[in-house]
Amino acid sequence: MSASIEIAGVSKVYDGGVRAVDAVAMDIRQGEFFSLLGPSGCGKTTTLRMIAGFEIPSAGAIRVDGADITHVPAHKRDMGMVFQNYALFPHRTVAENVAFGLRMRGLDKATIATKVKAALAMVELSGLEERRPAHLSGGQQQRVALARAIVIAPRVLLCDEPLGALDKKLRQQMQFELKQLQKKLGLTLVFVTHDQEEALAMSDRIAVMNGGRVEQIGTPAEIYNQPTTRFVADFIGDTNIFRGERTTTNTMASAIDVGKDLILALPRSPDIQGTGILSVALRPEKICLSPRADAATATATATGSCAHGIVENTNFLGGAVLYRITLEGGHRVLVQQPNAGTSRLFVPGNDVTLDWTPADLVVLKD
Amino acid sequence: MSSAAAQRPNGLALFILPGALLFALFFFLPIGLMALMSILTGNPVVAPKVAFTTRHYARMIGDPFYLEVIWTTIRIGLVTTLVALAIGYPLAHWMARIKSRAGHALLLMAVLAPMLTGIVVRTFAWMTLLSDRGVINQTLISLGLISQPLKLMYTETGIVVGLVHIYVPFMVLTLTGVIGRIDERLEQAAENLGASPLRAFLEVTLPLSLPGILAGSLLVFALAISAYVTPILLGGFQIMTLPILIYQQISANFNVGFAAALGIVLLMISLLLVVAYNRALGLVSGQHDLQ
Repeated sequence: MSASIEIAGVSKVYDGGVRAVDAVAMDIRQGEFFSLLGPSGCGKTTTLRMIAGFEIPSAGAIRVDGADITHVPAHKRDMGMVFQNYALFPHRTVAENVAFGLRMRGLDKATIATKVKAALAMVELSGLEERRPAHLSGGQQQRVALARAIVIAPRVLLCDEPLGALDKKLRQQMQFELKQLQKKLGLTLVFVTHDQEEALAMSDRIAVMNGGRVEQIGTPAEIYNQPTTRFVADFIGDTNIFRGERTTTNTMASAIDVGKDLILALPRSPDIQGTGILSVALRPEKICLSPRADAATATATATGSCAHGIVENTNFLGGAVLYRITLEGGHRVLVQQPNAGTSRLFVPGNDVTLDWTPADLVVLKD
Repeated sequence: MSSAAAQRPNGLALFILPGALLFALFFFLPIGLMALMSILTGNPVVAPKVAFTTRHYARMIGDPFYLEVIWTTIRIGLVTTLVALAIGYPLAHWMARIKSRAGHALLLMAVLAPMLTGIVVRTFAWMTLLSDRGVINQTLISLGLISQPLKLMYTETGIVVGLVHIYVPFMVLTLTGVIGRIDERLEQAAENLGASPLRAFLEVTLPLSLPGILAGSLLVFALAISAYVTPILLGGFQIMTLPILIYQQISANFNVGFAAALGIVLLMISLLLVVAYNRALGLVSGQHDLQ
């Protein structure tokens, strides 16, 4: 049966004083697809290895279904793990690899054979039982590693960048299959990745980590639409970040002066406090682009949700187009527009008007 | 382009010439001569009337003394190999897995340091430890644990102790390379699947290090059965091994033909082992290619 995991104030300090993980706290719910996302060296893999029992926390506790397992050795934790390089046993066949965990649990041969067969069928590897890992493709090895981990019906499945070594097409297919399998088996899955698209596509919730700390925990939509810190806003997707001082104008009760003749209206939110320096983020696709029309936008400019600029260059993405625009004051802004047909695309040098809704502006903690 | 590519291997092949020449002159020629001498009645250079004969080999097989010497030599080799493996494997595992660079350097130095001293010196050192009035016996007697000195010198045990000390580094260095190349995550994967650390070692690391165990054992065995100085000094001619016998046949009995025959037997034992090693390795790694 799947379990919940509670990570309570866990730190890991290595010899020499390196703080790989710093007071991390998170609650992973039963049956949840939970991702640890961050750049390399952010502590995500160390956190996973502490859950697996390969590293012992320097401080804090890890609880599974409420029971403290901080000092339980790895082989008694009953967790499945898919390693980054798969870590398949090269001297054993596919079937023997998958059977390993069942053998360690002392099951009889007939039961093992049945379960191995079922697990291999589940990952669509039937017929490859007698192969050795060296004779399998990367995708097949990945499936063997997955089958080996789930055949023991683990309380938790841990995945350390399991799809990192696969090419893009195969990776997308495996993302889909892994997600489907996780839902079907109701597995609690902790997934480590540095690939934000992968984390956004697969997770129920994501913990974004940086420098050994958790920056933000939330659903993919929350992480993307309401990043709470500058790091999260910057790390997830493209974004425009402005930094300036709180101010008020005749037309705006609450605004931010980001310099170079640009004043942005702030969203009406009770939790924006103080008068100091603020950072705000605005996603490129939340900005609307149109040919320059001075008269119509004069009032909008005064309300802090509109600006004029010139298209510097364009980046055609297929379904969308990414424009790099220099505003009149000199700010450089990214704008993404859906591809609405060749005749409606802008080209470098075009005079354009940008407008957006103040509510889409996200105020960040530094 | 095609002509250049065709000529290239020929040009490179020339570089093998010095090595091949050296090999022919100092390896094939002496061994060929030795093999020839072992089936001749005398030295063809000094005695003009020589004929082919099997009497050297017949003498060896006909006399239980020589068979006993051959068996003693093999026994000492086997025991030395097993002890060196038992001591060397944990050490090699430690060296291959140690995280700290300084620790690794210290271990490597500890393994290599004995090799900086000559075999003769090290053997004499063992004599001062093992003899009747040596450190070990004197200590045990003064502690009242024994009344008569233990017979440590001039026994096979003494020879094995000396040989193990000399050849453990060969075992350790061979094994360290092999164990170091085994991915640690394989053991972690085994533990994750419910294997205790010992079980993970037995199921994963040990079988994967088998090629290293075979190579190190072969090396130590071949060196141990051809050792000469240590068996003489620690065995005091009371334990007879093939190399000692060969030396006696040449220097004391001037029976070069019989010495050559004994040498061929020693060589055959080693060659048989190399063949067995290749077979065993083929079986171990052959599994990888069964498919």
